[in-house]
Amino acid sequence: MKIITCMKWIPDTSEAELSIASGGKDIKKDDLDYDLNDWDRFAIEEAVQLKEKYDGEVTAISVAPEDAEEMLRECLARGADEAFQIWNDAFEGSDGFVIARALAEFIRKRPFDIIVTGTLAEDDGGGQVGGMLGAMLGVPSATLVSRIEIADGKARFRRELEGGLYENIEMELPAVISVATGLNEPRFVSIRAVRKVASIDIPTVDLDELGLDESQVGHSGSRISVEKVFLPPEGEGAEIIKGSTEEAAARLAEILKEKGVL
Amino acid sequence: MKNIYVLAEHRKGTLRDTTWEALAAARTLAPQFGAEITCILLSNDASTISDRLVQEFSKVIAIEDPSLETFNSDACIKCLVSILGDKSDYLLLMGNSNSVIELAPGLSITLDAALATDCFGFDVVDGALCALRQIYSYKVNALVSFKGAAKMVATLRSGSFPFTPTAQAGGSVEKMESPLKSEKLRKVFVSYEEAEKGDVDISTAEIIVSVGRGIGDEPDMDVYQSLADTVGGVLACSRPIVDKNLLPKYHQVGTSGIEVKPKIYLALGISGAFQHVGGIKGSPLIIAVNKDARAPIFRVAQYGVVADINDMVPALEEKIKEIKG
Ligand SMILES: Cc1cc2nc3c(=O)[nH]c(=O)nc-3n(C[C@H](O)[C@H](O)[C@H](O)COP(=O)(O)OP(=O)(O)OC[C@H]3O[C@@H](n4cnc5c(N)ncnc54)[C@H](O)[C@@H]3O)c2cc1C
Ligand SMILES: Nc1ncnc2c1ncn2[C@@H]1O[C@H](COP(=O)(O)O)[C@@H](O)[C@H]1O
Repeated sequence: MKIITCMKWIPDTSEAELSIASGGKDIKKDDLDYDLNDWDRFAIEEAVQLKEKYDGEVTAISVAPEDAEEMLRECLARGADEAFQIWNDAFEGSDGFVIARALAEFIRKRPFDIIVTGTLAEDDGGGQVGGMLGAMLGVPSATLVSRIEIADGKARFRRELEGGLYENIEMELPAVISVATGLNEPRFVSIRAVRKVASIDIPTVDLDELGLDESQVGHSGSRISVEKVFLPPEGEGAEIIKGSTEEAAARLAEILKEKGVL
Repeated sequence: MKNIYVLAEHRKGTLRDTTWEALAAARTLAPQFGAEITCILLSNDASTISDRLVQEFSKVIAIEDPSLETFNSDACIKCLVSILGDKSDYLLLMGNSNSVIELAPGLSITLDAALATDCFGFDVVDGALCALRQIYSYKVNALVSFKGAAKMVATLRSGSFPFTPTAQAGGSVEKMESPLKSEKLRKVFVSYEEAEKGDVDISTAEIIVSVGRGIGDEPDMDVYQSLADTVGGVLACSRPIVDKNLLPKYHQVGTSGIEVKPKIYLALGISGAFQHVGGIKGSPLIIAVNKDARAPIFRVAQYGVVADINDMVPALEEKIKEIKG
């Protein structure tokens, strides 16, 4: 079984103090650490588990600048057999449509049974690339998938609806499956595992190999464009309890008592 | 934009609120563009559902087909293309539900339309529609343009577009032939499945101590369980805690977990993403402890402490014990 998995390299903003870059169209990213999108950690793990269960090969692909090589190397250490890095500086500022298009052009020439992606990336919160890629390649797709089995050339999977409800679906292969977080337990990667794959070449792929030109990627190729970013107003919000840990804890306990729950 | 289409969403025979929220958004936008609003209903049995729709929509286009009983994205794309394929100059609005999350991206490619997902507002800049979205772990707002596209699709964050019924549309239903008759679908619905139930039911709890990713990678869960026991409450959590197998799914608060309505909700190391907060709307008192003063949870909480939970949790338990004597 040929499995392709798509990995996104994103700035980790979950705990960082963020500020707006000059021009007002993005945040300042220079001081942020970059990492594999959390959802994609589950995607690569699922790809590797499918390979281990049904026998096959995993190819990891990312449209990402040079620095992201370490992420793809980590994917090899996680069990991918090969990895490709698609990049040209003209990709800077691309939306989900452009990324899906680049991935589609690359994948078009390679036979596959399943493409595994994350459902969503935490930087753009788009949730666009998986479904778009499926449509561009002419194969069905599914998102928020939380369990997968393969039988008789079909994928049987469970996908998440709201409020603890799921639906079980059967889908023809080849297909794109975008996973939900929590569907597996991403393995721990040791430094030794990374060293073991140090000599594997990670080819870089440029625009000409995709049959795309600069005008078709980046801002000019995108279908939506960020005009302005801003931090949400702090608003009314909570009454912030000040003081030492001791004092704040005492005040909180008092509030609980006032509310009659103690 | 001449037309605004609203996709009606239903599950198990009942219309979902996302439909009305999308209509609410359409109603604020339509006058600004002089656009007409039309509802699209794809279902196995239009009659029961359309009765309600025509009270609010003057026009409903309906396709009936057995495979539209559940939300099959493959079937929906084929139907929407048969309705919209030859049109331009429109905006299609849908709720950003877990069903639409699957439908919208592929649909936008098939329709050749520009897509903005999970929008919580709109703005009109120089006569052009722009959408408001959140990026970077929902911490930054972005105003996004469709770059002048003649075909636009936007999915809407739930809770962002409050709806007021008028029940005065007196609309009519136009039925269209199903394009699915001869086609084999690549995807079929098998069954629904409910998340496993456990030994605690957080949906009825009066006091909830809830933990998020702020508890770190290798937390001592006993510390939090102990605090919950001391206040006489139950332990709950955000999604990443379940994803990491630190607590079972039936402890998860949020849109894909459980909706809770306790008297007191104590959020520890939870950022307050809207999918989480969507599950605690019914709580009269939210208290948050987070080391980031800008964490969105402080916008919905009544009381907040900007502190490290590793310090705060033991100190709080101590104080509560003192009061209880
Ligand atoms: C379709 C879909 C459905 C979803 N459903 C749900 C759902 O049902 N429930 C849900 O919860 N989420 C859900 N999510 C995920 C949601 O978007 C967020 O990713 C999630 O809620 C974040 O959890 P968190 O607040 O625990 O983690 P984070 O967002 O990582 O926040 C951790 C917080 O802890 C703080 N912190 C860190 N260390 C400390 C410390 N030592 N002391 C104090 N504070 C600290 C940080 O400042 C940060 O604010 C869903 C997402 C999608 C796309
Ligand atoms: N630049 C990229 N390179 C490879 N895969 C990507 C890229 N961007 C997004 N993806 C994949 O698409 C999923 C959804 O991303 P997004 O549409 O950006 O929210 C991610 O979880 C990845 O699996």
